[in-house]
Amino acid sequence: MEGKVGIGLRRDIADVILKSKELSPDFLEIVPENWMGIGGQWNRIRKAAVEKYPITCHGLSLSIGSAEELDWNFIRDLKSFLDENNVRIFSEHLSYTKSQNAHLYDLLPIPFRRDAVDHVVDRIKRVQETLERPLAIENVSYYTPVAAEMTEIEFISEIVERADCKLLLDVNNVYVNAFNHKYDAKEYIGKLPLDKVEYIHMAGHEQVEPDLIIDTHGQPIIDPVYDLFEWTIQRMDPVPVLLERDYNFDELDQLQSELAHLKSIIKKHWKVSYESSTGKISSAEPSGVSSAEPSGVHVTTK
Amino acid sequence: MKLHEDTARIQDLLGEYCRTGEDTEIPGVTPGRVHHYRRLVYNVVRDTMDSAYPITLAALGEEHWDLLVQDFFSSGIPQTPQIWKLPFEFYRYHASQETGSRIRKPYLEDLLYFEWLEIEVHTMPDRPYPDFRKHGNIFNDRLAINPEYEIIRLEYPVHLHAVKEATDLKGDYFVLIFRSPETGYVQFLNLSVLNTYIFTRLVEDGVPLNELKGDIASVSGIESGKYLDDALEKFIGDLMKKKLILGFLKN
Repeated sequence: MEGKVGIGLRRDIADVILKSKELSPDFLEIVPENWMGIGGQWNRIRKAAVEKYPITCHGLSLSIGSAEELDWNFIRDLKSFLDENNVRIFSEHLSYTKSQNAHLYDLLPIPFRRDAVDHVVDRIKRVQETLERPLAIENVSYYTPVAAEMTEIEFISEIVERADCKLLLDVNNVYVNAFNHKYDAKEYIGKLPLDKVEYIHMAGHEQVEPDLIIDTHGQPIIDPVYDLFEWTIQRMDPVPVLLERDYNFDELDQLQSELAHLKSIIKKHWKVSYESSTGKISSAEPSGVSSAEPSGVHVTTK
Repeated sequence: MKLHEDTARIQDLLGEYCRTGEDTEIPGVTPGRVHHYRRLVYNVVRDTMDSAYPITLAALGEEHWDLLVQDFFSSGIPQTPQIWKLPFEFYRYHASQETGSRIRKPYLEDLLYFEWLEIEVHTMPDRPYPDFRKHGNIFNDRLAINPEYEIIRLEYPVHLHAVKEATDLKGDYFVLIFRSPETGYVQFLNLSVLNTYIFTRLVEDGVPLNELKGDIASVSGIESGKYLDDALEKFIGDLMKKKLILGFLKN
């Protein structure tokens, strides 16, 4: 899947993805929590998606940073789900979503502290062991640091290094955090262990205050984030790239344009070819294979 | 645990603020930013409840409804990692707190349960279907039942009437909620006590209807004969049309 561009299998667009050619992702990302243990119509849709596309999974509820013990029953169910759906890439957030034994259903920032590094490293190792696959941990967007004793880049880099896990690099989150906390996004990315990046997320966001951006996944990707993406991929090997959109699916042609735009940037720097959207794709083409945009794909420059 | 007590306490302060919305001193945060976390967290929970319980929301009104969601989220300790299951915890929480009695909406527990069951039946794991044939005799052959259903008992007929009328019609109501084998959509049937008895016996005993007729006659007080046969034929025919009875068991 290296260099391929996917989209999240959200219920609002599942039919479009599976039954029409309005969207042409190379792979689909599934949020396991939304599909595990489900039967009926949605189970049929999941099976059809797995049949038609390669799948990555992106979890929400692992809560790797929480003080309370990991939910091992959930993790075992998760492993079964990943195995059943032939998932190689599983990612989660470097955050906590559970506190005082209560789920919160959103991503809260872990304090950038030495003991939190030790705690998270230990938990990632144990999760990887149980899942029998590496965990790609995502740099999350955050709107305030909390009692930090080290920088964000030190925090993430040390965790990825010591846990021997992978990194899901969310380029939009880097942009959002750089804006919100006034640092240089390129300098930040330059310090990340880019050889550990297994997967990239790209998304839109919303500026809610003059000095604050919220990571919404509901808007189109903006040009400065595309620019940061292009700058980044020149410094690393090809990995799968996901267009992350959770709502506002009214304009499918605009989503398709975003997929095409990402592919056009990738083709400039990585040797990848894109097949038509239907049939299963295999892993990246070997170096030297010429790339061609599928006919009918509209490339915009926004 | 390698997390120091102090760091764990700070994480819990932020978590608790997000759940309760009650202002608290959280060390080392950027002024004016933390409230966004409470807003984002609460919106996710509120949206989930609004989608799961549209009839209850409309019946209670915005203000009452929001109080119920806030009460649940701040005191209910959500346990499920799968947010689509959270509405069930919401129902269970308010049933255990007897919220309906406290706010003088006696139908509340039934309405929440009924709305939740629609989600549960729609999403429940697939159950194995029996081997069946389409043709047979409804009295002499064993009937193949669609396994994807639930029967619930309600005190208020919230599935039949608007809550205002339902409140005055307290009684015993049985509702059969099932998933269509073809579309996956959920439908419900109001069942009389007798039809609930017949359906339950068919499922539990797994015998041809003829073998149950004596018991049915005795329970219903209807003499075994043409009148009872016609009534049974109509009931079973309706269930077949709705694909709740799929046909006739092969073995």
